[in-house]
Amino acid sequence: MTGSPNLSRRDVLKIGGGLAATVGIGGSLAACSGGNEFEYMFWGSTGEQDAIEAMLAGFQDTQEDLTIKPVYTPADYDTKLNALVASGNVPDLGYVQPAMAYRLAEQGKLLDLAPHFDEYPSLGQRLPGSYFYWEEDKCLGTQGANETVITFYNRAAFAETGAQPPPASAAEAWDWDTYVENAYLLTADQSGRRPDEAGFDPTQVARFGTLASMWSGAWYGLLLSAGVDVVDSSGTRTMLDSPEAIDMFQKLVDLMYEHRVAPSPSQLGNNAPSMAVQLASGRLGMAIDGQWALLDVSQADFDFGVGVLPSLGTPKTTAMGGPTAIFADTEYVEQALELYAFQSDPDQVDLFSSGLWMPLEEKYYTDPEAIASWTDNDAHPPEYKTAVIDYTLENSQTYFTQKLRNVEEIDRLITSTTERIQTGEEDVATVMGELAAQLNDGMLQGVYPSAPQ
Amino acid sequence: MTTTTVDRAPTRKAPPGPPGGPRRRLGRGEARWGVLLALPAILGFAIFTIGPMVASLIFSLTDWQIGGDPQFIGFGNYVEMADDPLFWKSLGVTTYYTLAAVPLTLFVGFVVALLVNQSFRGQSLWRTVYYLPTLVPAVASAVLWIWIFNPDFGLFNTILRSVGLPTSNWLYSESTAIPSLVIMATWGFGNAMVIFLAGLQGVPGQLYEAVALDGGGAWAKFRHVTWPFMTPVIFYNLVTGVIGTFQVFNQAYVMTEGGPNNATLFYIYYLYTKAFTDSEMGYASALAWVLFLIVMVVTVVLFRNARSWVFYEMGDAR
Amino acid sequence: MTGVLTPGPKNPSAPTATAVQRRGRSPRTRVGEARGLTRAGLWLVLAFGAIVMIVPFVWLIRSALMTDAQIFSSPPAWIPDPFAWENFPQALTAQPFARYFLNTMIIELFVVTGTVITCSLSAFSFARLRWRGRNVVFGLLLSGVMLPYAVTLIPTFVMWSELGALDTFIPLTVPAFFAGAGGGVFNIFLFRQFFLSIPYELDEAAYIDGANPWTVYWRIIMPLAKPVTVVVVIFTFIGVWNDFLGPLLYLTDDSNFTLALGLATFQSTYTAQWGLLMAASLVVILPIIVLFFVLQRYFVEGVTLTGLKG
Repeated sequence: MTGSPNLSRRDVLKIGGGLAATVGIGGSLAACSGGNEFEYMFWGSTGEQDAIEAMLAGFQDTQEDLTIKPVYTPADYDTKLNALVASGNVPDLGYVQPAMAYRLAEQGKLLDLAPHFDEYPSLGQRLPGSYFYWEEDKCLGTQGANETVITFYNRAAFAETGAQPPPASAAEAWDWDTYVENAYLLTADQSGRRPDEAGFDPTQVARFGTLASMWSGAWYGLLLSAGVDVVDSSGTRTMLDSPEAIDMFQKLVDLMYEHRVAPSPSQLGNNAPSMAVQLASGRLGMAIDGQWALLDVSQADFDFGVGVLPSLGTPKTTAMGGPTAIFADTEYVEQALELYAFQSDPDQVDLFSSGLWMPLEEKYYTDPEAIASWTDNDAHPPEYKTAVIDYTLENSQTYFTQKLRNVEEIDRLITSTTERIQTGEEDVATVMGELAAQLNDGMLQGVYPSAPQ
Repeated sequence: MTTTTVDRAPTRKAPPGPPGGPRRRLGRGEARWGVLLALPAILGFAIFTIGPMVASLIFSLTDWQIGGDPQFIGFGNYVEMADDPLFWKSLGVTTYYTLAAVPLTLFVGFVVALLVNQSFRGQSLWRTVYYLPTLVPAVASAVLWIWIFNPDFGLFNTILRSVGLPTSNWLYSESTAIPSLVIMATWGFGNAMVIFLAGLQGVPGQLYEAVALDGGGAWAKFRHVTWPFMTPVIFYNLVTGVIGTFQVFNQAYVMTEGGPNNATLFYIYYLYTKAFTDSEMGYASALAWVLFLIVMVVTVVLFRNARSWVFYEMGDAR
Repeated sequence: MTGVLTPGPKNPSAPTATAVQRRGRSPRTRVGEARGLTRAGLWLVLAFGAIVMIVPFVWLIRSALMTDAQIFSSPPAWIPDPFAWENFPQALTAQPFARYFLNTMIIELFVVTGTVITCSLSAFSFARLRWRGRNVVFGLLLSGVMLPYAVTLIPTFVMWSELGALDTFIPLTVPAFFAGAGGGVFNIFLFRQFFLSIPYELDEAAYIDGANPWTVYWRIIMPLAKPVTVVVVIFTFIGVWNDFLGPLLYLTDDSNFTLALGLATFQSTYTAQWGLLMAASLVVILPIIVLFFVLQRYFVEGVTLTGLKG
């Protein structure tokens, strides 16, 4: 075992201790490992890893007895977290997927933060939609950060083609026809023909006007703008077979196959280049995507802009984010709460100013000074205030996957259904009817409570 | 005819029990040695395998959700499976894939092993090149294949178009998604090839000369020497190929996420989702045990069937 | 020539395995020219196949030298323009890869050694020694790999947790010394298949001379089993090299991470840095390519068994 710093005597002792514990001689030996360690478990890119570790190092400086230990888990996060839960080795604080967070909370594995909101105002005064209440008065926490769905675009492509850039405020949001018109102007095949010109070659498109993303996060805002939701107020019946929803999906399908201004899934491919790459390279004129893409878009070397989504009636967008939670087993509740507040402070984490995250506290959307603290930089374009901040505050609704019960099963069904739709070969109304029948057959089990107003 | 003799050789029945004579010298000691040498494996099974297996069998009779308290529900999970369309779908998808991918991979692996076993310049290099695809990390090869299969500008359709053949939607159509993945799997025949290659080293060379003396050509050499001596290795690749392919996971996990419309919902992918996305370990365990039974039955059938075509020096080994 | 197959097995003094190397050394054929033609044909077939095989590798190299935008440009380009050499330093400094390499090699050392020794020993017992329940035990072992690991993962993890072995290499290495517990059964099976085709007369002759099974295993069988041993070494090595889930689950502190985990950070949940991923992948697979290149030569030498002839 020479050269192995990891198979140290301490570990051998641990094994011995563990064995002893198993045969019931002394259970205490195995439990004494760890000391005053505080584990923070998270995922993310190498950039996010660096930023989080820097934030944790900053928090470490405020602590004397506690060692903060980052537990970075690049992939298969749920698998590892499940194994840790099953074996009783949960971290003290960590990212959790929404459905799993609700489940763990109901099992008593997560700390109820609601009683601490008065004590920590920065916890209590966040965007109402960011909270995860699993019961009327029990809250497992908030999103780790906020995100909103917006339109990104390549300014050069618009200037070149004479198309109008997407509006930067909700009040001026495009209606669908304007959106499609502009997408037409942007789209061109290799020989420069537009889709409405004779001889247009749809297999050789040099630039697509837009994306017809079938990801529910992207279409949810459009659906809401048409005045319907995924479920009705009871939470047990779907509205996805309503004429408005069918019309919305048909419009998306038409972007690909009727207007040919957006790539079909086969033209795009899974694991395709990220939206930012496609925008930067000019292969794409505009795209509807999550605000987090701002990090990549702003780092790709091109002139970009942001705008609001087109509207099918009332301008709407989706707000979303995975929860961060404190595990109930932690011995350091106070420090956990402090860190919980600390990690969402734009002064401590540069992921806000770099464009990946949006803050959670309301003041960062209303107070000009607070707004400047995270947007006054190169990553955030001038129109960001109206196109994203005001838009979020005035026009956003929380992503349905954060609120629905049994959402994993529902999400799988919705995903496979939209995969059918996006081939363009099936009748949207029929497919949505089948989806609704399955959803209404007991799969929809209501919603979790919203934050008390 | 001589060839008939050779033909039958692989299937000859060994006399039951030890041939006697020398073997007696080991006597009772043989059994003791046998257990002793197999002890690491037996202990390994007892310590690391049987516990988790029994645990999962017990989970399968409960509604255990990781983190919660399990309730015993008898065969409830198994009953639920009968009504679960995704269970049937994933079973069908996986069976289809196994039936196509295993024979193809073995065939190509075998043929290429025969080729690169010939002596010629740069043999080492050729072998390495043919083994390369299995070395490319899964994520990198996934990205590559997604590009190869891209209907618009992918490699396959570009070639098909240039020779005037109809193109395909490959991974993006329900009907061609699995065949596409089979093509991709076949291209990773390297592991089967390496095992065949090792097996070819055990084929007694002088037998080829005997066949040649007898006037036999290349086919006779293959049929009467190579093939019978390779059957144990072919059998190995077949059994492990089936066991492994029933548990195929990566392609769905990395490339297709089970789509489009569940066309590539492999059994283990579905099980994995149930176990770790939904944390429904009870149901996932039941899924696992059903697959276990299926694979077990197939393996037993293969082992029984092997008696008629696999040739072992030590006749009673099966 | 009745019984083409029989002379070897039936005649201990000239065991089948004393194979004359067939290639090159086989009696000179009269049809030299025909051979030349066949050879050329063979070359052509191999070359064509090689092109198909090498595409992904070339693709990997070119992607490793491209920016993300270029990797996915349409239509795809084969030559990077410009060459993004900075991917390499960037990828290799993004994570402490030297540390990860060391960790991986430590695990490799234990796992490869343990697997080869214990799997071949067990296989020797299953293939060449007779004992009651032998086939039942072998069947049981094999059944262990038929149950999807996804459902045994949690109980196994809990066990290691109870033993206090989390965040150590113990869960990743110790099972190897128990015939690779679980997946190692495939190796036992592979060794067994090879051992079964070695003439039994060799053992018998040794036993007559007073050898014990260990001697037979070590002096007769293993020297004859070089090719299969090489296969097991290669597979085990690559298995550890690419194992992602095991280290992910059991290792917490990133100073304990392995190369496979390091690679995964370039394609983390929701994000991917393709250029860096490809560059790092390329560097990470080079050692195993070299390993294979070096070890595959045993697929020739395995048959020179002149030592047995005496």
